[in-house]
Amino acid sequence: MLLHVRHETVYSYAEAVRYTIQALRLTPRREARQRVVSWSIQAPGRRIEQVDAHGNMVHYLTVESPHRELRLLVNGVVETDETDGQPNSDALQLSPLAYRTASSLTATDAALAAFAADAFAGSDDLRLRLLRGAQAVAAAVAWRPGSMQASDTAISAFQHREGLCQDQAHVFIACCRALGLSARYVSGYLYAGAEGSVASHAWAEVWLDSLGHWYGVDITHARPVAGQHCRLAVGRDYLDAAPVRGMRRGGGQERMQVTVLVSNSPQQ
Amino acid sequence: MKGAWDEMIGADGRARAHCREYSDWLLAQGMDRLEAKSAEADALFHRFGITFAVYGQAEGTERLIPFDVVPRVLPQEEWLLLEAGLKQRVGALNAFIADVYDAQDILRAGVIPAEQVLCNSQYRPEVQGVAVPQRIYAHIAGVDVIRAADGRFLVLEDNLRVPSGVSYMLENRRMMMRLFPELFVRCQVAPVEHYPEVLLANLCSVAPRGVDHPTVVLMTPGAYNSAYFEHAFLAQQMGIELVEGQDMFVRDDILYMRTTRGPQRVDVIYRRVDDDFLDPLTFRADSTLGCPGLMAAYRAGNVTIANAVGTGIADDKSIYPYVPEMIRFYLGQEPLIDNVPTRVLRRPDDLAYTLAHLEELVVKEVHGAGGYGMLIGPMASKDEIAAFRARIIADPARYIAQPTLALSTCPTLVNAGLAPRHIDLRPFVLSGKDTTIVPGGLTRVALREGSLVVNSSQGGGTKDTWVLEQGAPERLDA
Repeated sequence: MLLHVRHETVYSYAEAVRYTIQALRLTPRREARQRVVSWSIQAPGRRIEQVDAHGNMVHYLTVESPHRELRLLVNGVVETDETDGQPNSDALQLSPLAYRTASSLTATDAALAAFAADAFAGSDDLRLRLLRGAQAVAAAVAWRPGSMQASDTAISAFQHREGLCQDQAHVFIACCRALGLSARYVSGYLYAGAEGSVASHAWAEVWLDSLGHWYGVDITHARPVAGQHCRLAVGRDYLDAAPVRGMRRGGGQERMQVTVLVSNSPQQ
Repeated sequence: MKGAWDEMIGADGRARAHCREYSDWLLAQGMDRLEAKSAEADALFHRFGITFAVYGQAEGTERLIPFDVVPRVLPQEEWLLLEAGLKQRVGALNAFIADVYDAQDILRAGVIPAEQVLCNSQYRPEVQGVAVPQRIYAHIAGVDVIRAADGRFLVLEDNLRVPSGVSYMLENRRMMMRLFPELFVRCQVAPVEHYPEVLLANLCSVAPRGVDHPTVVLMTPGAYNSAYFEHAFLAQQMGIELVEGQDMFVRDDILYMRTTRGPQRVDVIYRRVDDDFLDPLTFRADSTLGCPGLMAAYRAGNVTIANAVGTGIADDKSIYPYVPEMIRFYLGQEPLIDNVPTRVLRRPDDLAYTLAHLEELVVKEVHGAGGYGMLIGPMASKDEIAAFRARIIADPARYIAQPTLALSTCPTLVNAGLAPRHIDLRPFVLSGKDTTIVPGGLTRVALREGSLVVNSSQGGGTKDTWVLEQGAPERLDA
């Protein structure tokens, strides 16, 4: 499937910022089952490219002249394979074991561990169990855009019973790890149809030991990841894979506006 | 504790051969003079403002760590053995860390279970595959050594993250030379004063490739850190800048510090900031102590961080039992200094033995620090043992167990005069192009009678550590 992406982020500051540095994970991962047709990032300042330990493409951006606004514009086309779960084992940099230990955002408490033991049960096929688990997580943590701050912990999302797709992914990953599975966070884009409300998205991948590959699960939609998903970055949790992590000196109050459009045809 | 080895007095009640010169002198001193010297030392330390805590005490509890005027004396031949054993051990530990973050041969060979390492919270995937100069990760290692009742040295713990305490070693020596200059004429004590020089040379030797005259800085969490005095002291002694995260910035994968003459490129960071706080773009996002982008410069090979990121994987208590295997695997040698015998409660045999002998053993949580999550069997009540037993049974993999060791003793000046007190030793091993250990290290002493806890937070003090430059002198009257 061909996905056309336009992703604009605008930061505005109350006062002048003297120095900004950002790590941008805004470039599709180089993988066999997604191919970049064209891709560009427009941003001010200087930029240098790196591949991180998870195999993500990172651009480090620095702006050293005083600025009241910072605009990032991503434009591109990527072609994805349609296979369910997007089975993936190419270019393994890190052992799947590195994704088995709870991180600060994916720790579990007794309630969440009990939920995991219950929700992920009932089949010999791990993939089926994962999809059931995803369904249970999506039911337990309702998707409410704007209901919480992203990068909250799995425990708090589970307690609040609602959250963003990041939170659903964290709860799902926390459950998997509590069950001894290797699971990782994926940040990316989703084509949700002409009427779709999700464009910037997060989901999870679980290591299938018997098959030796990762298997993608879209928790929000309780289904395997497929051709509508474009993968930007993976990591142990949101913090490893966030589209933008930045720090600045000065600037005071910040406002951020994000517009993401993902379509199956060229757009304005 | 009965049966402990005394560093100065032999089983026959006479001073050990290497200590006779000092012991004769000590016995000739009146108690009044020793007490006066001790008071003088306290006053001087107060005036210098050396009132910091070594082992991570609560904020705001700055105080003087007691200094004892009686040194711990090691003969040269014992030191040479220790030195060789420490170099061997730290060499293997560095090889291990380099392997973990590269090819992982030791995991593939099954010498250490892969999940022990890769599922460990101290493993840092962020630096997997990053090449570092000389393949050295633990540039500064503080290895805690004890001497058992039979006189053998054993390693209790490897400190490979941001080991502290070396300023005590230097200040204690300076104090002893000031209080007792005559002693240093009588006894040939190996110098330690050149430590800062050796440290700087070591740091320069691991600069990024192609940098001939590296700029080295010492990165501190700031004045509120309990070891800030040591940071300032070492930076001043080495003649390098003392910086905080906010004094530096990154541009195009290169690290700079702000100076009055504009940005200056930084090549080597001697950091005294924990991994978690180094770079808010990579580790804890709420860290205000770090420098954003530092890890980008590091991954690009443009700056050396000492100690490297990720060394915690080798000083974790769950990895410690494997160090002798590392020495065999990487060096093809037998360990010159043994570990304290350690039972790993993940193993059913070790678990069964431990549960049957809790009242004799020390049980430690593998990720615990500072004495938390620890049971000292002989000192614990029945209730405490029962409670700990339940915790062990609930999650055995979280614990290791060791015998309660009779740490060696050394005469120490206490209220009642000179009396034996238990001690340990932390030598500082510097690894770079070469491996160097300044003779001696930091001797910590448990000042309470019978106590085996040398930590400053629990009534521990320090002593000067002497390594004699020759064997026992020939004595005319012997």
